[in-house]
Amino acid sequence: MKIEKLMNEYDVIIIGGGATGAGTLRDCSLRGLKAALIERSDIATGATGRNHGLLHSGARYAVTDQESAQECISENQILRHIARHCVDETDGFFISLPDDDLAFQNKFVASCQMAGIRADVLDPKEALSLEPSMNPSAIGAVRVPDGSIDPFRLTASNIQDAKAHGATVLTYHLVTELLHRQGTITGVRATDMRTGEQTELHAPIVVNACGIWGAHLAQMAGVKISMFPAKGALLIYGHRVNKIVLNRCRKPSDADILVPGDTICLIGTTSTKVPYDEIDNMYVLPEEVEILRKGAQELSPILEKTRILRCYAGVRPLVASDDDPSGRSVSRGIVLFDHEKRDGLKGFITITGGKLMTYRLMAEKATDLVCEKLDVNKKCETAHIKLPGSREEKETTLKKLYSMPISIQESMVYRHGDMAEKMSKNNTINNSLVCECEEVSYGEVSYAIDHMDVHNLIDLRRRTRVGMGTCQGEFCACRAIGILAKQKQICPTREKEELIAFLNERWKGVKPIAWGDSLRESQYASWVYESVCGLGDENKK
Amino acid sequence: MIFDTVIIGGGSSGLTCGIRLQEAGKKCVIISSGQSALHFSSGSFDLLNALPDGTKVTNPIDALKELKAQNPKHPYTKIGEEKFAHLAQEAQRLLADAKIQTVGSYHANHYRLTPFAITKPTWLTMADYVYAEQPDTFSWKNISIINFTAYLDFHPNFFADKFRRMGMSVREIEIDLATIANNKNNLSEMRSTNIARLFDNGKTFANFANILKSKIEKSDAVLLPACLGLEHADIVDTLSNILGVTVKLLPTFPPSVSGIRSQYLLKQRFMELGGTYMLGDTVNKVEFEGNQVTKIYTVNHNDIPLRGEQYVLCSGSFFSQGLVALPNDIIDPICGLDIDYISDRKQWFADDTFDKQNYESFGIKTNEHFLAIKDQKTIDNLHVCGASLGGFNALKDGCGGGASLLTALYAAEEILGNKK
Repeated sequence: MKIEKLMNEYDVIIIGGGATGAGTLRDCSLRGLKAALIERSDIATGATGRNHGLLHSGARYAVTDQESAQECISENQILRHIARHCVDETDGFFISLPDDDLAFQNKFVASCQMAGIRADVLDPKEALSLEPSMNPSAIGAVRVPDGSIDPFRLTASNIQDAKAHGATVLTYHLVTELLHRQGTITGVRATDMRTGEQTELHAPIVVNACGIWGAHLAQMAGVKISMFPAKGALLIYGHRVNKIVLNRCRKPSDADILVPGDTICLIGTTSTKVPYDEIDNMYVLPEEVEILRKGAQELSPILEKTRILRCYAGVRPLVASDDDPSGRSVSRGIVLFDHEKRDGLKGFITITGGKLMTYRLMAEKATDLVCEKLDVNKKCETAHIKLPGSREEKETTLKKLYSMPISIQESMVYRHGDMAEKMSKNNTINNSLVCECEEVSYGEVSYAIDHMDVHNLIDLRRRTRVGMGTCQGEFCACRAIGILAKQKQICPTREKEELIAFLNERWKGVKPIAWGDSLRESQYASWVYESVCGLGDENKK
Repeated sequence: MIFDTVIIGGGSSGLTCGIRLQEAGKKCVIISSGQSALHFSSGSFDLLNALPDGTKVTNPIDALKELKAQNPKHPYTKIGEEKFAHLAQEAQRLLADAKIQTVGSYHANHYRLTPFAITKPTWLTMADYVYAEQPDTFSWKNISIINFTAYLDFHPNFFADKFRRMGMSVREIEIDLATIANNKNNLSEMRSTNIARLFDNGKTFANFANILKSKIEKSDAVLLPACLGLEHADIVDTLSNILGVTVKLLPTFPPSVSGIRSQYLLKQRFMELGGTYMLGDTVNKVEFEGNQVTKIYTVNHNDIPLRGEQYVLCSGSFFSQGLVALPNDIIDPICGLDIDYISDRKQWFADDTFDKQNYESFGIKTNEHFLAIKDQKTIDNLHVCGASLGGFNALKDGCGGGASLLTALYAAEEILGNKK
């Protein structure tokens, strides 16, 4: 009993496995704290994995919000350095279309320069030759240092590094209670969502990094945070039509950013206030699909003929400002609450607001406060210590994999940077392909299952892109479940349940855009899984 | 070019119709864009496994009355009870004449195993596959289940688990083809068809049989993933003779070697009977005059039209692009025929992918003889067959294979009858 208790004693417990939680876990671990992270589902399942994956230059905010713009450009430069393997240095264009006011361009460029963001005005013809997919009727173009960033890899890499520095990660654990003693939070009680088993973890500080779900956690702690869930929907197109991020040069609006990422590109977003009790159930509506298609086609007309792979929606954690009693004024920046000062509740802090781009800065601020409370005098080093995967030049890693099939080498290093070396046992089984769409090998899948907190097919998709390609999991899902079953000793009954859950997760994203080739693919998937394989109601959980 | 009948679509429906017509001395052409749903087949053809209300069917012919009551639009309702038995027998005969040996009967479903070892009712199963007259009744006691290293489209554990639960002793044997193959191609692509090609090499096959012989010990049956016999089904019998025990196939995930072979054999049969098979061609224009199709044009034949007295459309469903879904419309991209569908896209789908999806039963409208309807008028010389037809849910009713073959034969007999 005593030993178990000792094992469950930490310096800090972080709740929430998004980028902010993972970043805070890493920062705390690097500063020598014994840290644990609890997440009710998988990592990067909330807003972290449900945005553009845009490495903002800050240009989008330059005109309306200089502070955010400055934060972005600073973090942009840091992430290119510490998370190189998660970043595609694509650059971005802000294009003006005939309907847009070209006068805005001047204001935009001046604001960018004020925030320290490089902004080069290009001749629209030159811009078109650099990015042939952009709307040829553009009357203006400005180049800025935008890029794309993979939020799944970024979060996973933070987690990997934290674990390497002694952190504990409990995914699929739901916090059911915050433990109190005399006005102080002393730990949490959590339930293992897979086994139902209960665990208690103790620490002098608990960090609420739950994003939009943080309002609920705060309530559990007995304090109030007013949040306004803002839903943002996005569409994924099945081809990477643009190599440079395309934005509209106008006041930020719906469906005005087209980001290339991996083998696809995506358009977003919309912005709709939704009731708090609906945040776990985000469906993309037909109206939203129409707004997004229209915006996408304005940026890049070829998208009218490009297959839409799927859609999804995330919820931004907008926090009501504390100084506005009406609750109408919303803060879009980083929000850090020291609940001891704010509410007289010791041992509990909340880090929220912000955006994927500023996850590291948010983690730094939260960790600074944790250290202050624990009286630990260590400086933040996350702005210069590289994440696992980004520590070696791509060419150096590729050389180590020279004997593997070239396509597998390239895609593995693209996805995992220098971590690819660990996945590359060169033999028949490890080199065999699980997913043809995204060139994912058995070795990569196998490594992710054993070393990257993968519990099911949906988790595996977030680590390796299995099921994210054009076939949307038709062929690779049944291969991957076999490997998962072997390595995790999953019984055949649960294997079928897992597959059904995976297929339904896919369908949720396909259904709103199921026409053309997407409907073809869905019909085909139904034939394969329902008719040929015989899966059905009796195999559900 | 002038033919008696022009058939659009070279899958199971188009080929069946073409073969039947060629048998009767008609001159047919089939225009095929290439891929067929047969390439992803289960190794079985279903006739009728369930009624629309979910009631399970054990005897398809006995269930037709109730089917008619529940779904008057079902193709089987149009075929009628009387013709149904005759056409079902004809289908099995036609397959056998094409050297596709199947077991099963239209008045008693038997049971196949799926790649997940799930037991499902069915009508006809490839004779070299594992099947049972009654659910899960097998006489074996000791079996060996074979798989190949790095072949990920077959999961022996599902079958091993199932057979062990039934009290059998199961030996799982993994064989590394890299050590025995004479013609190593890219083994990082271990797919059923690639493996089947390895076995087409006599020496590799002999090596395999020898290794197998040393490993199976006292098994009563050796069960292999269905990736043998891309061209000839008798490879399984040959192996059985060498090993001296029963050898049967278990289904794999797609692509389906037996399905590809069936497609190939049907095409061979059609061509041996004198049919013209235009592979890799696509119809790009169909001309109508009054209530008749007069000409069709294809991509490869440019301005040379194909003409026939009769036309048959077997272009399949969405997957085969016989139907195309636009964001708010469903069209027949080939002939522009009337479609039976719901116009509100929100009603096309159910939230759960395994629930009944309305879009599955969308299809081309026809009269009671499967003659196409265009602009609300019947086209007198254009029959529609198979998955292009609307009014039934092949997945939920478990009737895709049967609907495909029977409507094709029905159209063929109509065409032959009309010409008497």
